[in-house]
Amino acid sequence: MTLDEIRTRARTKWELLEHSDRPRIFIGAATCGRAAGALGVLEALEAALAQNNIEAIITQVGCIGLCYAEPLISIVKPGRPHIYYGNLTPELASQLINDYIVNDKPRPDLALGSVGEQSIEGIPQLWELPMLKPQVRIALRNCGLIDPGNIDHYIANDGYSGLVKTLEMTPEEVIEEIKKSGLRGRGGAGFPTGLKWEFCRKSPGEVKYVICNADEGDPGAFMDRSLLEGDPHSVLEGMLVGAYAMGATEGYIYIRAEYPLAIERLKSALRQMADYGLVGDNILGSNFSFHIKIKQGAGAFVCGEETALMASIEGKRGMPRSRPPFPAQTGLWSKPTNINNVETWSNVSAILGRSAKWYASYGTEKSKGTKTFSLAGKVNRTGLIEVPMGIPLEEIVYGIGGGIPNNKQFKAVQTGGPSGGCLPANRLNLPVDYESLAEAGSIMGSGAMVIMDEDTCIVDVARYFLSFTQSESCGKCVMCRLGTKQMLEILENICNGKSKPEDIDLLLKLSEAVKTGSLCGLGQTAPNPILTTIRYFRDEYEEHIKRHHCRAAVCKGLVTAPCSHTCPAGVDVPRYIRFIARGKPAEAVAVIREKIPFPAVCGLVCFHPCEAKCRRGQLDDPLAIRALKRFAAEHDSGLWKQRLKRAPLTGKRVAIVGSGPAGLTAAYYLAKLGHSVTAFEALPEPGGMMRVGIPDYRLPKDILKAEIREIESLGVEIKTNVRVDSTEGLFKQGYNAIFLGTGAHQGIKLGVDGEDSPRVKDCVSFLREVSLGQKVDVGDKVAIIGGGNAAIDSSRTALRLGAREVTILYRRTRGEMPASPEEIEEALAEGVQIHFLVTPSRITSQDNKLSLECIRMKLGTMDASGRRRPEPIEGSEFSLDFDTIIPAIGQRPEIPERFKLTTSRGNTLQIDPYSLATEREGIFAGGDAVTGPASVIEAIAAGRQAAISIDKYLGGSGAIDEILAPPEKAATFLEEAEEKWRPWMPALPVAQRLDNFTQVELGYDEEKAVEEAERCLRCDLEE
Amino acid sequence: MDIVKLTINGQEITADKGMTVLEAAQSAGIYIPKLCYDPDLKPYGACRLCVVEIENIRGLPTACTTPVSDGMVVHTETPAVSEVRRTAVQLLMTDHPCDCLICHRREQCQPFDICLRSVAVTDRCVTCPKNGQCELQEVIDYLGITELPFSRTTRSFPVDTSNPFFNLDRNKCILCGRCVRTCNEITGVGAIDFAFRGYSSRVSTFGDKPLVDSTCQSCGECVVHCPVAALMPKDTTQPVREVATTCPYCGVGCQIYLGTRDNRVVTVRGNKDKPPNNGHLCVKGRFGITGFIHHPERLTIPLIKKNGELTQATWDEALGLIAGRLDKYNGDEVGIIASAKCTNEENYIIQKFARVVLGTNNIDHSARLCDAPTLAGLGQSFGSGAMTNPINEIHNARGILAIGTNTTEAHPIIGLEVKRAVRSGAKLIVANPREIDLVRFAEIWLRQRPGTDVALLMGMMRVIVDEGLLDPTFISERCENFDAFKASLSSFGLDRVERITGVPRDLITDAARVYASSKPATILYGSGITQHCHGTDNVIATANLAMLTGNIGKPSTGVNPLRGQNNAQGACDLGALPDAYPGAQSVTDPSTRQRFEAAWECPLPSFPGLTLTEMLDSASKEKLKAIYLVGENPLLSNPDTKHTRKALEKLEFLVVQDIFLTETARLADVVLPGATFAEKDGTFTNTERRVQRVRKAIEPTGNSHPDWWITCALGQRIKGKGFDFEHPSRIMDEIASLTPGYGGISFERLENGGLQLPSPTPDHPGTPILHTSAFTRGKGQFIPLDYKPPAELPDDDYPLILTTGRSLYHFNTGTLTGKVTGLNALQDKELVKINPGDARALGIDDNDMVKVISRRGEVTARTEVSETSPAGVIFMAFHLAKSPVNMLTSPALDPVARVPELKLCAVRVERVPPGV
Repeated sequence: MTLDEIRTRARTKWELLEHSDRPRIFIGAATCGRAAGALGVLEALEAALAQNNIEAIITQVGCIGLCYAEPLISIVKPGRPHIYYGNLTPELASQLINDYIVNDKPRPDLALGSVGEQSIEGIPQLWELPMLKPQVRIALRNCGLIDPGNIDHYIANDGYSGLVKTLEMTPEEVIEEIKKSGLRGRGGAGFPTGLKWEFCRKSPGEVKYVICNADEGDPGAFMDRSLLEGDPHSVLEGMLVGAYAMGATEGYIYIRAEYPLAIERLKSALRQMADYGLVGDNILGSNFSFHIKIKQGAGAFVCGEETALMASIEGKRGMPRSRPPFPAQTGLWSKPTNINNVETWSNVSAILGRSAKWYASYGTEKSKGTKTFSLAGKVNRTGLIEVPMGIPLEEIVYGIGGGIPNNKQFKAVQTGGPSGGCLPANRLNLPVDYESLAEAGSIMGSGAMVIMDEDTCIVDVARYFLSFTQSESCGKCVMCRLGTKQMLEILENICNGKSKPEDIDLLLKLSEAVKTGSLCGLGQTAPNPILTTIRYFRDEYEEHIKRHHCRAAVCKGLVTAPCSHTCPAGVDVPRYIRFIARGKPAEAVAVIREKIPFPAVCGLVCFHPCEAKCRRGQLDDPLAIRALKRFAAEHDSGLWKQRLKRAPLTGKRVAIVGSGPAGLTAAYYLAKLGHSVTAFEALPEPGGMMRVGIPDYRLPKDILKAEIREIESLGVEIKTNVRVDSTEGLFKQGYNAIFLGTGAHQGIKLGVDGEDSPRVKDCVSFLREVSLGQKVDVGDKVAIIGGGNAAIDSSRTALRLGAREVTILYRRTRGEMPASPEEIEEALAEGVQIHFLVTPSRITSQDNKLSLECIRMKLGTMDASGRRRPEPIEGSEFSLDFDTIIPAIGQRPEIPERFKLTTSRGNTLQIDPYSLATEREGIFAGGDAVTGPASVIEAIAAGRQAAISIDKYLGGSGAIDEILAPPEKAATFLEEAEEKWRPWMPALPVAQRLDNFTQVELGYDEEKAVEEAERCLRCDLEE
Repeated sequence: MDIVKLTINGQEITADKGMTVLEAAQSAGIYIPKLCYDPDLKPYGACRLCVVEIENIRGLPTACTTPVSDGMVVHTETPAVSEVRRTAVQLLMTDHPCDCLICHRREQCQPFDICLRSVAVTDRCVTCPKNGQCELQEVIDYLGITELPFSRTTRSFPVDTSNPFFNLDRNKCILCGRCVRTCNEITGVGAIDFAFRGYSSRVSTFGDKPLVDSTCQSCGECVVHCPVAALMPKDTTQPVREVATTCPYCGVGCQIYLGTRDNRVVTVRGNKDKPPNNGHLCVKGRFGITGFIHHPERLTIPLIKKNGELTQATWDEALGLIAGRLDKYNGDEVGIIASAKCTNEENYIIQKFARVVLGTNNIDHSARLCDAPTLAGLGQSFGSGAMTNPINEIHNARGILAIGTNTTEAHPIIGLEVKRAVRSGAKLIVANPREIDLVRFAEIWLRQRPGTDVALLMGMMRVIVDEGLLDPTFISERCENFDAFKASLSSFGLDRVERITGVPRDLITDAARVYASSKPATILYGSGITQHCHGTDNVIATANLAMLTGNIGKPSTGVNPLRGQNNAQGACDLGALPDAYPGAQSVTDPSTRQRFEAAWECPLPSFPGLTLTEMLDSASKEKLKAIYLVGENPLLSNPDTKHTRKALEKLEFLVVQDIFLTETARLADVVLPGATFAEKDGTFTNTERRVQRVRKAIEPTGNSHPDWWITCALGQRIKGKGFDFEHPSRIMDEIASLTPGYGGISFERLENGGLQLPSPTPDHPGTPILHTSAFTRGKGQFIPLDYKPPAELPDDDYPLILTTGRSLYHFNTGTLTGKVTGLNALQDKELVKINPGDARALGIDDNDMVKVISRRGEVTARTEVSETSPAGVIFMAFHLAKSPVNMLTSPALDPVARVPELKLCAVRVERVPPGV
């Protein structure tokens, strides 16, 4: 039979199917679908159809790539478009049969999209979905659309037309066509395919081999599997084309045995090809003969390396050998051999089927065509994708992948599997092509793409990849076998807190040696994860090494409980939670007080990074740690004072400049260590930002006062209304050491015309004036510029001062707002309006009225912070009228010049990050004055470090930790927990809030608190 | 060969095309560090120490894998290169007991230094047996490494001590793969390979079993190639002095060094620079020598039987007694059995003693039991009965027919050559009823029924003639009698051949085509061809086949009998035969006799004497009354042991001269203690006619003396003159004067290596290949053949065929190997190898005790149920006295060569019930 005849028959069958008068159902039944439960869905569909006596045609297709939505089906009723439904369960599936097939209700609520000429109300076009729209499907052209077990489906969709064209060409012409297409090897190295073929073609020898490398081994990679499961013929056709071009008569598909379905698909495809005369002797009646064998690999990663792969086919241990000679000269059984990867072969059949010119119209100058990726990890839409070369990474992560789930921060994207690298947010604008990725230190690889969020520890990631390459090294060459072992050891030491400062340099040196000295690609690329993570995340390495801190709270050797580890002050969260659970809030306070002198304040206003890392959050809700702290503080009996010790007086005097959380914490601990401490406060009242930055409805003044009183009761003297302008003076007064905790009390200006107007008031001044009881008139309409907590505080304060209309203008979107989500919620509930993607450009004032000229923004490419940069939309200017405008775009410290201290960007003080020492002897600094506007708990942590360093400076040991709580009863790690969500925080009804500053959050009662505390997994007790 | 020019470190160098950069550098005297490189092995590129920079080549290629090319510019000592090398070595050190290597005071370190007491001994070089010879040490010294920036990663593998001769200590292994590659590339055994991955990678056996339970053949080749102490001999005594000599086991004649210390041989190593073995050795040669030399049961003093008991005597007493007794007998009443294990000089002296002192030609030796048909057969066909081509050519053959030879077990070093040939593309045809190890490497395996070789070979020749694959030019120009021979092929239609041999006709056709078309082709055969009652016909058939295809007289061709004993060739050459003086000169030829009578100054008998087998027959009839037996053990080696014992017991006087009290020696009236090969000077002639030196390494044990000394002493006592040699070299001078082929041989000429016979004159360089321009007899003679069935065929009472042979771990009657503890540990009993089908039919399991019974006797042994034996055939080796298989064998003789049919007799097997 000629292909024309075969094709005519196949097309007829396909048409009949397309125009069938029965409903048709396509179900994604590749491995990914099956893992998600597709076969259960299939059973349910069949049962529901039978129950309703409906004859439908069910076709099992491969993976269309929307892995996040598996199990996935599409239903076509005669004369209607395909409608795709995702995330199905057997129940939903039977429901759909009932609703759509029986009752003709297409259920837009369950549908993902439709394909076909007509559209259905409420259902978008599938190919217009953000995940699919940017994609170009060449290698995956048939995946998920045809029955991979039916060769007619492939042929009806122009399959094997490339082969027919090939047979009409000379081998040289075929190679020329591939060269013109610009196709490069999709296995990862990107060697020009046509050139490789030409070498093999020109190698002397009667027997030549063509091999398809389907030994997909990268963790997280599943492109080859999906392609073979979804469209085996596209690969096999490519092999035929290659064999013809190179003069090979025998071919192998080297596929890992862990891919049983793909193997099954290949076997049935080969059987059907043989039936049609498409493989074997005299293919399609020509002189061209080609036989294909399937060789199952045992799962050794190194067998993806071509020389190791060939050794494995030969029945030897899969170990690479040195090149030259190259496989094109001496390959399988010492005969000229060509190896290409699965995706390359599929592209080959597409190129011959269409044309080299068409193919080369996609991609960049040096990287033509498309590339498939398996998008996995911390991304909303995981899946198998195919994109044109040159697409920016962010388009993949945010456009196709839909960004990071759960409002977490993006941290890195890993390309190329264990041989690749981790690229940070500021490289998200990188175009995906061979050269750009290599320049950034990563590689294209075969297409694994793993997204990581802030909960991923970058050192741990490097450790993971090294443990993979180490255990997969074939053991042959010294560099790879022992070099990776040493690198792994060093990384494990870093993750376990056993590292040395010089380890980073040692790692770098070793990585370079392993890279240059290894025999094969496995060893040569094994250091890439280390090199890129050090290149882009060196600070995280240093944190691990110098501070034994893992910011993702992942490294087991450093982290006992993620909450405590994440708490800047290191509060032993699980222990106090256990006291609360046992009805002992006073004991809980004692635990908290072991690390911080402000339990009540923190219970109300802490931004609780601990909760973000709470492991319970992976199950249901993170524990309400802050609320529990508040509960404990409210039920304090002063038990903590029983064990409190104060050292005998040392005779040393310490001056604390600024009585905010940093200063008072330092003062508290220094006083306990026996030093005489005086705190100087420029404002009339102590407390710093806690006093003048946080509105009363969040932090009532008396609660703050009570905690400050406890500090004073230890002997700390607080002098208010004293502004310190010179450190020299303090030394002259006999102070032995000085701590500068002067905060960041100066609002940052907008930098637009007209902001000097008296009705434009920066948020710091605004909140301070209100806090200190000054009369502030805001008028009716108030605009707040900014998206942080200060903006929210200002907006809600303005409402309480009587403004009738409060609008926040923010230049990015809600997803990027730095303010706490619950604060934003409260503000919205209280009636604050937020305009996103708007930025002010000019303020004009007339008659006590302000006119704010704004421009609308759109989000562009990623900036260095890893957020998409807002860019003005030209011609989108508009104006709004206000009575008051409050810029809340940031604060900066005011550092008197006479301090004679160096400041850096944002006017912050430069210090040694570990000891907090300034460049001047005896002077230490911390808190917002150093970090810029941050949080209470971070300031407290700085105060603690300052106390340690100052005590040491004064000759002490710096030991500030103490045990204040009584010993607790034994408890164990909670191995299994039932799903249970955190209780709502009772709050004052909105109606009762707006004319006063009464505390809004009401706190948990005892029952709720105990119940919530019992949800704790007690990670600190995990073995 | 093409020459290329390249530059290394600025130095202009010429190298052969095909060389690697490393080889080129080495040949120019430029040092490049390396650990995994080994000149005997294929490039590997694993240790990364030989990395270099080459202009216009990306990265740092390894010198050991990169071929030279013209104009190449190489730098071997750049900072980048040095960095990789240092890192590689430091990484190896993290994984190797290495504290000493970076110790700042290792130069001054003494074995009793204090640090030794406080740490595990394996941490230290000073306690490592490889200290000073370790290649890792060498590289560390070269790179000047004094510190280790990495943490030590310690692994603690239990040391594999299962092998009796060497240990595998994986803790010291650097995974250079030299052992693994040696086991694959050199020995073809493949007992070890890498297992596991990553840091867990290690050298392992199949199934990670102890070495002794693997297919390891204990040859120790891996030990020799190990650069560190991962593979070390168990005995690590270091020699003070080394003496170059020749291995005393099989006919290969491997060149070895005996290392001595305090008059003891403590080490044996192969001589890398000399053929035929070029350093390679088998388990017996490497590990089976010191054990017997210094065995406590060595005979150290003469023994005289008094009242049925052997009692110690002085040499004077013993020699006096022998001289007195032997002198009384007529020439036809005495016989001498010489030894293929003794030197050429000793064989010469003993035959001279027989002829001159005792006046008899009754002299023979154990070559009669295996090699005689070669002399007879090849003598008729070619004019001389010896291997036609050298061993070292075999690897260049393109076709190999290995028939009746279990080469890898009986001649392991020749086995290496065969495997090497196959690796480089030669086509191997194995013809053997048993599935011997070589079958693994064979293109074609012909499993003929025992005793049907003539039919098989004639069948092949019929195909060659029918298909016109013969070499008509060679036949017409170099050979004669072809037409008669061709006519004799007519009765060998393939149907008949298939019926006789049991080999499918297609396979015979294939084999014929492969042999005839893969030129050069060589034929190797062993006792499977000769030990038949038509052994001479078998030999002739091989000769016909070689001539038919012109595969003779050229490199890598020929007919190559592999001789069993170290000096079988020499003993024959030097006249330890009843019908020939030295140099195969017939005793019946009057002019020859006259020449010898003139030289030896006495009359000589004019008729041939009795062969070995005939002597025993004659003794059993009490015609032969006395035997002087040197270094033989007929009680185990001859067929039909009962008959042999009876014959020996009937003798009036038996003298046995040996190094151990063998089974035969126990029957003797006088036992004389001989010296081992390590204790005397002389020469052996190996299977490829190479005369090689045996050198005295130590003084004879106790009161023993070399055999030549003893025989000379006896000769002097009886005859007085002609035996006053002060040194074997003087004997060789006399040999050279009387033996045409040995005319050019002298100890002086052999000093730097052996010479291949014939070497008629002192300036003749020796003859590696025989029959190059003409056959020894002029024209090669085609001899027509008929198929004759074996003498004893199975019947209802004895339904199985017993075939016998050799095994790897023992030699001949076990006189030597049976004394070596380690060899006994590897094999301490003979097994009856029986086909599973036969075993099932007889209700026999693996390792059952069975009785094997023939018409002549019975032995008991354990079974090994194995497919290696074909249905209807059982196999036993004949080495060990515990199961003396020659109790069973047939005394049927080849009518020409008088060799007994040791390869075939009819037996039955009975299971011995447990507890009986």
